[in-house]
Amino acid sequence: MRLRSRSGLLLVIGALAGGTAMAWVTRDRFDHWQHRELFPSCVGCHAGAAEPNASLWPAQTNCADCHDGTIEERVDWAPPAAPRASNLKFTHQSHAEEVLRHSADSALRCSACHTEPGADRMQVRPAVVRSCLDCHGIREAHLEAPDSACVSCHVPLVQAVRLTRTDVSRFPAPATHRAPGFYEEGHGDQARVGDGGVAASCATCHARDFCTECHVDAPEVPAIQALQPDARSLAHRAELRAPASHEDPSFVFRHGEPARREAGRCATCHTQESCLGCHQASPTVALAMHTPAPGRGPGARVERKRPPSHGLDFSDQHADVASARPQSCGACHARSQCLDCHRPNAADQSPGYHPAGFLTTHPAAAYTRDQSCADCHNQSQFCANCHVSAGLGSTKGLRGVGYHDAKAEFLLNHGQAARQNLESCVSCHSERDCLTCHSAVGGRRFNPHGPGFDPETLRRKNPSMCTACHGTTVPGD
Amino acid sequence: MRRFLRRGAWLTIALAGLWPGAAEAQGYRLRLDSRVQRVTYRGLTMDSIPVDEVVTGPTGGPRTPDDFAVRCPAGRAHCFFFRAGPELTGGPMVTTADLTLWGVGVRGLSIRVNGRLGLDLDGDETWPGTDPAMQLIEAYAEYAHRQFTVRGGRQLLFHRLGITGFDGGRGIVRLGRSGLEVDGYAGLGLARATALTPTSPVLDPLDEFQPQSRQIVAGAAVGYHGRTWDARVDYQREVDRDTRNFVSERAAIALDFRPIPRWSFTAGLDYDLANTWVGNADAAVKYTAPWITVTGGLRQYRPHFDLWTIWGAFSPVPYHAAEAAAFVRPIRSLELRGRLERYTYSNTETETPLVDVDDDGWRLGAGASYDLGRSWHFDAGYREEYGPGASSHGFDGLVTWLPTTILSITGYGSTLDRPLEFRFNEASVDVLGVEAEWRPADQLRLAIGGARYWESRDRPDAAAFDWDQTRLHARVTLLLRSDTDGFRLPPALRTRPRAGSR
Repeated sequence: MRLRSRSGLLLVIGALAGGTAMAWVTRDRFDHWQHRELFPSCVGCHAGAAEPNASLWPAQTNCADCHDGTIEERVDWAPPAAPRASNLKFTHQSHAEEVLRHSADSALRCSACHTEPGADRMQVRPAVVRSCLDCHGIREAHLEAPDSACVSCHVPLVQAVRLTRTDVSRFPAPATHRAPGFYEEGHGDQARVGDGGVAASCATCHARDFCTECHVDAPEVPAIQALQPDARSLAHRAELRAPASHEDPSFVFRHGEPARREAGRCATCHTQESCLGCHQASPTVALAMHTPAPGRGPGARVERKRPPSHGLDFSDQHADVASARPQSCGACHARSQCLDCHRPNAADQSPGYHPAGFLTTHPAAAYTRDQSCADCHNQSQFCANCHVSAGLGSTKGLRGVGYHDAKAEFLLNHGQAARQNLESCVSCHSERDCLTCHSAVGGRRFNPHGPGFDPETLRRKNPSMCTACHGTTVPGD
Repeated sequence: MRRFLRRGAWLTIALAGLWPGAAEAQGYRLRLDSRVQRVTYRGLTMDSIPVDEVVTGPTGGPRTPDDFAVRCPAGRAHCFFFRAGPELTGGPMVTTADLTLWGVGVRGLSIRVNGRLGLDLDGDETWPGTDPAMQLIEAYAEYAHRQFTVRGGRQLLFHRLGITGFDGGRGIVRLGRSGLEVDGYAGLGLARATALTPTSPVLDPLDEFQPQSRQIVAGAAVGYHGRTWDARVDYQREVDRDTRNFVSERAAIALDFRPIPRWSFTAGLDYDLANTWVGNADAAVKYTAPWITVTGGLRQYRPHFDLWTIWGAFSPVPYHAAEAAAFVRPIRSLELRGRLERYTYSNTETETPLVDVDDDGWRLGAGASYDLGRSWHFDAGYREEYGPGASSHGFDGLVTWLPTTILSITGYGSTLDRPLEFRFNEASVDVLGVEAEWRPADQLRLAIGGARYWESRDRPDAAAFDWDQTRLHARVTLLLRSDTDGFRLPPALRTRPRAGSR
């Protein structure tokens, strides 16, 4: 019910508004054709079109001579208080002087602009643009005219002070604006004129504010600075569009080289914020860009996204990729992010790299090294230290106390377990424990060397290692 | 307490020293991250009784009168056993300052410092990694030019050989537009995976052999970066300054090949030139599309030991694994994942007739994540692992609620069974926890949470014990930055592992 009443109200308002508009249109248009027998000359009513200081419009009483309510019905018309708002530099007076200089037939001259070619003098209409172009020697269509042609009839936007923002928004767009590449390169080439100038055709419809909707580098572009500021130019909405080169899926990985080579091009649309959105680890790469500031465009918004190459399991499987191209990681990741996982934090209540409660559950993962624990945890500082505190560290020598009680003769038959999980042994046992039996000089001379042992190379690389067990009589010396 | 205050003063001085430099620089970013938790852990205490007090248990084995299984070494007057240790309470608090300065007068010059202050608020330093309190992770100046980069100071190098820390210089030269780059570095090395020198007593809790001075680290690499493939070859050596003996000498290659869209082949290998064997190696083929990622690969894992230890001479053998993983997003809000790995150790060439040890194993995991609108996130998974030494299987799950864009509340839980192979110990753990994170501004993040652990370590004697505890933690992350920095704090939960993914 409520909806129905609102709809009715809207209809009434719409009808009233429509009727008012129609009435206004009817009153405003003077039907020259209907009056063609009455007015042999244009300047009879529009004296100002030919004479300086005369009014362009007839007096209100002139109409009332006939439209007195007796001869003809009354009309409600008054001459405009001011000239119509436009960006034309044309004035009837200046044209009149030219007309008088060439011919006294002013009526003919009025119809030259205000009628279609071949039409009757009194088939009046607003000035025919084609006629303007023809007289001024411009062969192209109105919106395809060369840059220099605009100033023949138009003043720059900033001088058309009587135009409102709404008027500006109704400016038609030239065909050139729809040409491929216009937004990327084309408009810049067309706008630059001479040394620091701007094309008159741009200035006809645009002002500096319009350019700074996009151009981050506006203060550095002479052509933009050649334009005057004018907020009405914002009536045309400009949107940053990614150039075709950015559509390439690999662009995100390959933009470094062109960015270094032509940083100025990037700076057209990008601020430092664009770079820092991803390049958090290397903020210096952004120095070639401008910081956001008044008079500059806000810049393209760059969203930091997980690259497709990372897949869904990248946090677990990035070692090889990171090793092969470490600088690629550094482009987006701050070094501190690596250190969050790759350095142990004693106070971290897991969830970090490890699942919650990993301390309690770690033996299974540690025994067979699902991951390389030693990459992040120093064997002595982290493992042995904690195991000693927990009473697991072998601090008093190997005494056969029987910790490994699930295997009755583990001490005598630990070889396989040791070679498979030597890092686990080392987290509780010292070298001294093993030398009790495996030393060639002070122990029981059990040979610990197994598959892959290369005595020659090891002795050459570090003979001190050999002397730990063999003393001064290292075999092969 | 005095010690704590002294350390707090050090932190204040350190930060105060950092701040004025940051404020005057053209661009800076300083991230302060402080985390603290209260946690207990409980280990074992070795005990002994005279041999003549040992009794025979119900299964025929020797036991103490109070039912602890004991081991009586031949010829000893005492038998040994382990009791449940005391509950040790730790209050580790770690504050990390990460500072980057740029625009310091020379274009391309930047300075980076990452330092950490670690304290155990309970004062007993029972928690690993809090001693020494001050640790300088990185501190270097870098000058980056289009064709080269030079860097000097303390730095970490992440590459195929792992993480190498050193105090020294590094230079990278990029050869025009060829995609080639040459990398070289040299300096005095840090101990592996730590910011400490190898001579630090902290790194010797078992009183082992330890080098007397820092080793010299030097390395070089050549990398190529092309449209369809990237590769890097590394060579690195570490040499003892006193004896000129090698501490390590290794080479590595890493390859990322992308022949056609969505398909990639990655491979890597490191070779130990001192032990003349292949260390870690892997190769994987991956298909990546917006809705699915499938990976299949082979890998080898062999531990690496510095040559100033004797462990390399004990011939650690590698295991060889075949793995496959799939992540599928059938609809935007749902992710399904699964992972399977099977591995087998190389022949150890040992004879252990009295002890049967597994020489192969497997791992699997499966999970799912679901987003219900923008406010709810669910994640659940199962993982199971069976291998030499230990096994485990259990469920994980979490629910995250975002009532607003700046607040998230996460509840999580897990259950796990974890039997050991070499010791009677059937541990089971159940966890329920909650965490809230509030991000009132781009520069500030606060989090607080707690979890209840129910842990049972079961075994057939009196050494079995329950160990339940409540853990509490809090975190503050603050980002100070100049106007020229676009960095914002990333969501904190993005690194939370997804259940079943590993």
